Amino acid sequence: MDRLPHSRAEPPPKQAQDLLSQSDVLCFGGIATLVPKHAVLLLPKSMANRSKFTTGSTLMSWAEFYAKNRGWITTVEVSNEQAAGTQPLDAEVSHRLKDSIQVVVATYHGGPISVLSPKASPSAPAPSDPTEPSPSKH
Amino acid sequence: MKIHILRVALTLVSAATLASAQTPGYTNFIRQIQTSTGVQCDVTVAARGVQGAILPVGSEGSRFELWTITNPPLVSYLLDTKYVGAFIPVAVVTIHSEDPYGPVLRTRADRPFSVDISVSGLHNALKDPAPTKYVNVLRYVQSYGTNGTGVNLDNSHATLLTQASITQDGSQTLSYALTSIPGANLSKVCGEERFSVFSLADRQTSVAQIASSSIQIWPVADGALAGLSQGQLIRLAMPQVTVTLNDLYPSSTTYVQVYHGNPQLGVTGKTVPGSILVLNETVPQCRVLTLKGYDAVLDSEGLWTMELLTLTPFGIDRLAYVSFNLNRMIKINSNLTTIE
Repeated sequence: MDRLPHSRAEPPPKQAQDLLSQSDVLCFGGIATLVPKHAVLLLPKSMANRSKFTTGSTLMSWAEFYAKNRGWITTVEVSNEQAAGTQPLDAEVSHRLKDSIQVVVATYHGGPISVLSPKASPSAPAPSDPTEPSPSKH
Repeated sequence: MKIHILRVALTLVSAATLASAQTPGYTNFIRQIQTSTGVQCDVTVAARGVQGAILPVGSEGSRFELWTITNPPLVSYLLDTKYVGAFIPVAVVTIHSEDPYGPVLRTRADRPFSVDISVSGLHNALKDPAPTKYVNVLRYVQSYGTNGTGVNLDNSHATLLTQASITQDGSQTLSYALTSIPGANLSKVCGEERFSVFSLADRQTSVAQIASSSIQIWPVADGALAGLSQGQLIRLAMPQVTVTLNDLYPSSTTYVQVYHGNPQLGVTGKTVPGSILVLNETVPQCRVLTLKGYDAVLDSEGLWTMELLTLTPFGIDRLAYVSFNLNRMIKINSNLTTIE
């Protein structure tokens, strides 16, 4: 660094450097995975304990974990705009969130994605307003 | 079309970064973060492989973070980040250590390391916006504290040590004789150093971390042999020796050896049974060993030296030694007489 010209510019803000604090956990049957925070749209109360990491569980990628747990996890494909909160979720999706007894995870082309609260129309149904609280806090 | 080009670029970046994240026992995640919205998406691929970004690169660019997680303990490490944007230069930060361990880079507090920083895509015309003309390199240090391991580390407490500007394309290597993590005893500091390249902000884009890499610094080991004193005369059985080991390097082999004569560096002696400790850990270790019943390795009388050694990626270090005299000979003076 000594050979580089020193800069007096204001240093940029430090970024969070812990993936665990930026993620939600899904854990069951000795295996676990991480998804971005706000990607879990619905977590039924009966499965609340599956959002906590159980010591001794094996961590794996989302794709691997989902393939082994399709019995209690379902996904909802969202658009880029819906994930950014500029468009509300489809009405059909909102209905599914009300009726589902499974954990619902938002995905974009199969990859788990965070879904932000709607910004364009505050009156629209909130995408992260599940019938039962998800592990993510907005 | 622009998005397509950026996707291709990402594919190459992912392939390069994944090459360093293949050690068994680690689970890898790539996370794409849209700068403009903060939306996060997992673009995880196998430890070896190439895949295009799932999300299109956002209007203000996207940051891609390569994470690896150990389990247990459940700890995440940020291995690399790449920023992809329309007008932002490209940077690569590569840290070199004498310890080949990966994917989390590490070295010891008394050892040198170097950092390669390569920047391309910088412009130099007057009309070009500032973010395209130079980038800032920042060096952060952060102590883990006494006996710290870096678990649940809050990186927002890292200290900015130096920052510098790069205005021309090219590569440069920064060499450091040893770490700059602050501490009263420099051989015992533990923590990490991070080197990050940031773009500049202007009216259209915010500050973005283009590339980043970090290295863990672990303390120098120390140890002691108790139960034998310097110059002690051993007449019968060898006494029990207690071996105290502190801050053993995560990948190291530690053992006690004995040899004839005075203390001398570089001598290969006989290893004392029960003294070999092989470590393949993620953090330094402290142990206490007890040696007894090792008389068989001392096969002759005279002056002996007992040494405590640790073998690390940096070589062999002698942690402690003691010399003693061994004399197990029993002289019997007798006199046989007859009366006749």
